[in-house]
Amino acid sequence: MIEPMTHLSPTQTEALIRKLTALADDELLLAHRDSEWTGHAPILEEDIALANIAQDELGHASLYLELRRELDGSDPDRLAFFRDAGEFTNVRLVELPKGDWAFTMLRQYLFDAYEALWLDAARTSTYAPLAEVAAKAVREEKFHLQHTALWVERLALGTDESCRRTQKALKELWPFAAQLFQPVQDEAELVGVGILPDLAGVRARWEALVVPHLTGKCGLKLPEVPAAEAGRDTHTDHLAPLLLEMQSVARAIPNAEVW
Amino acid sequence: MMAGHDTQWPRWEVFKQDAPGRPYQAVGSVHAGDPDHALLTARNVFVRRPSAVSLWTVREADLLTATPQELEAQPEVLDTPGEAGTYHVGLKRTHRRSMTFVDLVGALEAKGPGDALRQAREQYPDALTWLVFPESAVVRTDDDPGTLESWFAPAKDKTYKQQQYYGVIGKHMGELKREGRMPQRVNEEPHIGDQKVYSHPHDKAPKVQR
Repeated sequence: MIEPMTHLSPTQTEALIRKLTALADDELLLAHRDSEWTGHAPILEEDIALANIAQDELGHASLYLELRRELDGSDPDRLAFFRDAGEFTNVRLVELPKGDWAFTMLRQYLFDAYEALWLDAARTSTYAPLAEVAAKAVREEKFHLQHTALWVERLALGTDESCRRTQKALKELWPFAAQLFQPVQDEAELVGVGILPDLAGVRARWEALVVPHLTGKCGLKLPEVPAAEAGRDTHTDHLAPLLLEMQSVARAIPNAEVW
Repeated sequence: MMAGHDTQWPRWEVFKQDAPGRPYQAVGSVHAGDPDHALLTARNVFVRRPSAVSLWTVREADLLTATPQELEAQPEVLDTPGEAGTYHVGLKRTHRRSMTFVDLVGALEAKGPGDALRQAREQYPDALTWLVFPESAVVRTDDDPGTLESWFAPAKDKTYKQQQYYGVIGKHMGELKREGRMPQRVNEEPHIGDQKVYSHPHDKAPKVQR
């Protein structure tokens, strides 16, 4: 067992808590959106596959929140089920309604590519508990990425309708992707000491991976994106209704001991 | 459109190897649009929990199977034409209940699928079912470290949880009972008060309100 890095300054601790929460929020909400397909996916095999992906993402959220618990003793279930929309720091990309299969696969692809590369970089974190979590989670993420990359390609190069839907999904999703690379407050403090990967570096690798896939292999057109990027405190109107459903059972029986 | 047109994607038989040196075993099948897709769905469906180190998928159309009874009734199956080359042989050997049905036992050189089946019957006369397919039809997972790490290693960390792990027996149950929110039987259809939440076609027609 590697000892956790203990010499975090108060500012660093707060920034790390913010980052872990943001990472977990992304995973939690994406898992929920994916789970909305359970019983509704185009074929049974893909129903199972997407449920697997959702469970993996939920597992990653839980890993991040356990890291946060080590820092401030907070309860992961309280954070997941009893915070309101204004307290969530997920990107808008993951809160958008599930849309059609093309939208779901393309969103998952954009996210998987980002997460796989972020985790790959986080494996060398100087904060040992994060490095351990990254080494574990990156394996699943690389598999997700193969699955979703295949689907995006099949849909883009499939029928006229599947191509039209995939292009439409890209037009809707692409402008939201940049928010994935927005840092939390004081994130630079942690990047400077090697606790967190540099987001600009992850973004460069992400673009080098997804742009050729989307435009070259899949023949899709990237839409123009406004230069201004919103921070992680910016949400759409879709977040609150999502939380209402996701948190409803926990809030209905707040004193449940075991789920 | 043709009546009864099959809208399903092709079916692929999935063969799983649990550990290096172990035989590949037929674990079930998946529907998929193409070979790569078949492997990905096979991994999702059959390797989330159980351990594996390699997967093969073979399109249904490339498999030839027969039981002794079938060969007696239709001996012409042994003349099924096809490409000459290496064929894999699988056997079902027992009627015992099992998670797997056919183990691959080896490969042989044959003039076609019918010939492969004939040789399989000669080599393994006691089998309950023979299965053959050409080496050229096999779609395999890669065996590089990256694939093993991302496709197969995560399953080793995932354990089955017993049902009681998810138990909800706790002190809040008494509270639920007092508040009248306690489900009476787990297999009971959902009700609100005395009214069923969902009505079914076989239910008696509801009284018409006037």
